[in-house]
Amino acid sequence: MVKIIIDDKTFEAPEGTTILQAARSVGINIPTLCFNEELTPAGACRVCVVEVLGPERAELASACNTPVYDGMVVATASPAAAAARRTSIEMLLAQSPHSRQISSLAASCAAEKQEFELEAKECILCQLCVRACREAIGVEAITLVTQGPGRREPAHVEVDWDKCIACASCAYICPTEAITAEDAGDVRTISITRYRNEFKMKACSACGALYAPEKQIQFMAEKSGLEMEKFELCMDCRP
Amino acid sequence: MKSNLYNSWRGKAAVSGELEGKPVKAVIGWKGIDIRSGELSVADVCRAYMQEVSELACGECSVGYNGTRLLAGLLDKLCQGQGNALEILHMKALVANVKYNSKCDFCALSVQPVLDALENLETEFTKVAAGQKPVKPGNYDIRTGAPCTMACPARQDVPGYIELIRNHRYEQALDIIKKNNCLPGITGRTCVAFCEQNCVRGEVDEPISIRALKRLPADCATAEPKKPAAGTGRKVAVIGAGPAGLACASSLSGKGYNVTVFDEQPSAGGMTFAGIPPYRLPREIIEADAAAIKASAGFKAGRRVSLAEVAKQGFEAVFIATGAHQSRPPGIDNWNEAYAGLMQGVKFLSRVNRGEKPEVGKSVIVVGGGNTAIDCARTAIRLGADEATIVYRRSRSEMPARYDEVAAAEAEGVKIIFLALPSRIVNEGNRVTGVECIRMELGEPDESGRRRPVPVKGSEFMIGADMVLPAIGEVPDISFINQADGIELTSWGSIKVDDSLATSRKGVFAGGDCTSGPASIVEAIAAGNRAAGSIDRFLGAQPDSSEPGAEIYRELVMDKTRCEPTSIRRRRVHPDEVPVEGRLAGMDEVEKVYTPAQATLEAERCLRCYRVVLTAL
Repeated sequence: MVKIIIDDKTFEAPEGTTILQAARSVGINIPTLCFNEELTPAGACRVCVVEVLGPERAELASACNTPVYDGMVVATASPAAAAARRTSIEMLLAQSPHSRQISSLAASCAAEKQEFELEAKECILCQLCVRACREAIGVEAITLVTQGPGRREPAHVEVDWDKCIACASCAYICPTEAITAEDAGDVRTISITRYRNEFKMKACSACGALYAPEKQIQFMAEKSGLEMEKFELCMDCRP
Repeated sequence: MKSNLYNSWRGKAAVSGELEGKPVKAVIGWKGIDIRSGELSVADVCRAYMQEVSELACGECSVGYNGTRLLAGLLDKLCQGQGNALEILHMKALVANVKYNSKCDFCALSVQPVLDALENLETEFTKVAAGQKPVKPGNYDIRTGAPCTMACPARQDVPGYIELIRNHRYEQALDIIKKNNCLPGITGRTCVAFCEQNCVRGEVDEPISIRALKRLPADCATAEPKKPAAGTGRKVAVIGAGPAGLACASSLSGKGYNVTVFDEQPSAGGMTFAGIPPYRLPREIIEADAAAIKASAGFKAGRRVSLAEVAKQGFEAVFIATGAHQSRPPGIDNWNEAYAGLMQGVKFLSRVNRGEKPEVGKSVIVVGGGNTAIDCARTAIRLGADEATIVYRRSRSEMPARYDEVAAAEAEGVKIIFLALPSRIVNEGNRVTGVECIRMELGEPDESGRRRPVPVKGSEFMIGADMVLPAIGEVPDISFINQADGIELTSWGSIKVDDSLATSRKGVFAGGDCTSGPASIVEAIAAGNRAAGSIDRFLGAQPDSSEPGAEIYRELVMDKTRCEPTSIRRRRVHPDEVPVEGRLAGMDEVEKVYTPAQATLEAERCLRCYRVVLTAL
């Protein structure tokens, strides 16, 4: 256990805990966007920024992926942290003006719409879809393509439709409108930024209800080692 | 006109007064901005620099990626005469935000010189905004390097492949690695990792585990098969299929040459095969790395060739890369290899590594402090020795062996006696019973910078042993060269070469351990790459005119000091290992490959120290 102080509250937290986990364990709320308890933190959105006041030196850090250390003193809403958080949110808002989640985050943190000249292309590169697909689903159909020397195409997510099982988890977790999933007839259409694909839904052999994408059923059968026949019925018709 | 001369560069003067014959009017980079000429537009220098930075920002954090893009955009607008004073304030706020709230060092440090300029040369910007100063775009030279890359003899793009590994893009990572390292499986396991010694993260807590990270794409990805280059049909011979020879062959066949590799051993790999035991480097890994090269180059193995013989076969150029396989004399008084239990360490390893089972004593003494010594001891224990003791004449901190190899050996029960030198073999008939050693103490530093060991008079002591394996270094074996070949040698018996690795005979090049003496695998690879470039030019190719590297700023870029220290530590993630009790029964590989999750966690520690240097000419 290490002894830490967050917002004047002194307490102990297990070594290796992140600032965010420690704060939440004592009821201190730090706003987040790209954080999800089930996924590895990415530190991508810079909304959970807090100020580490010491004892070594004062600096800003993202709470979601910064481990606490013994004697660490943290202020979650110091002027520096609050200002940095506001700017992070304002940039995200400019990129994704239609996101309800970001708008309400902005409202709660006194962030305002700025005249940022950023392309409003919805995807904010928070990597929630990447991590959900990889870690929660175990499919890894979405990866982040970064930019760097010799790789100058702007950063974006890339989709491998051969791997995608059309489960639509990415659409559920996406905080903006960059990813959507729509069912029409026996087709589910998934749109991930500039990528778009259609998937056939499976009909229950008893009642005919379209209950899941065929590829997802196949994936479940392979993962569980059960035969495809076990998946012929929808949840309602199963004995 | 001299009013804007200003220098905020932190540390040593960045760049000399001239670049490629032209006077340098300004330098801007991660450590500051140095304006040397009054005729420059500071705003435009900042604009060009931020444009480059914004194109290299990875995109893994919103503040760095968006912030640098916004800054580049605002500076561009200003320079096009559409800016205003409010936006200058806005830029200052943005720079501060990027500096303090980016996820890694790249954007955070890159914006520093723009902040310097905005704060100290503000009128340069306000005048442009007010239309009082026209902006003339300058002539800019932009180069990017990284401390790890510059420390690597082969100049691997370390931050690049670490970033791709972090994002599970293993094929692309492997492509980047293979650009100048044709042996990713071998180096992913055994590289001495000069990059890790120069990793900026090491200044914060521990260096990134770069070598182990490299192994993951090497093990799990398949490189895009190279499209065969339009064949030039011209024939080049490579003598020696070790790292240097393979690198040269790989590079030249990639350029369309018809390459034949000769080696006296049946298998490729050179010293990596002969000298490194399978528990560190499984044979199939060497074969897999070599197979990728054999796919496009001929391979004539299993017979020793002479230079004269090769020269007769119509090759237009020859690269000699025969390594350093001859052991140095052990320097022990009554050394006699006719005694049972006395064998040169390299010979012992080479026999074991080629599948023989030499008889191993119960009590083995290894002499030396390098990786060969460590490997001899660990191998002896695996082959049934009750105890293996390393005797080294200096202390632990001077050991040339990699510290993790030393730690692994000790965990496996190898003992190390420091500050001692074997001086005499004790024998009964032709059977060894022990070694007499003398205690050493450290004196003045020698030419290697390490303190010279000096014998302590009258301190002789005895260690019982039935096997002694000296591993104190190797020298090139150049017996395949005749005087008639016209190849000049150095005074200590290596092949003499110039900067381009050309020997004294026209069309014959040499590199790797046969010119440098025993060095690392990655240095040999670098020599092979370099020789390939020289041979290509020798045979008429134009010098490579692709993106200019940051080579001219090597020292500058290698500087590890960080402008912004941090208190936040993240310890290294170590790859799993076979526990000691499971290791000693055989030669199976000890270290496991990172799982993708472990690799991502470790790669997250990378500070991404790409350094952009822009000079205005």
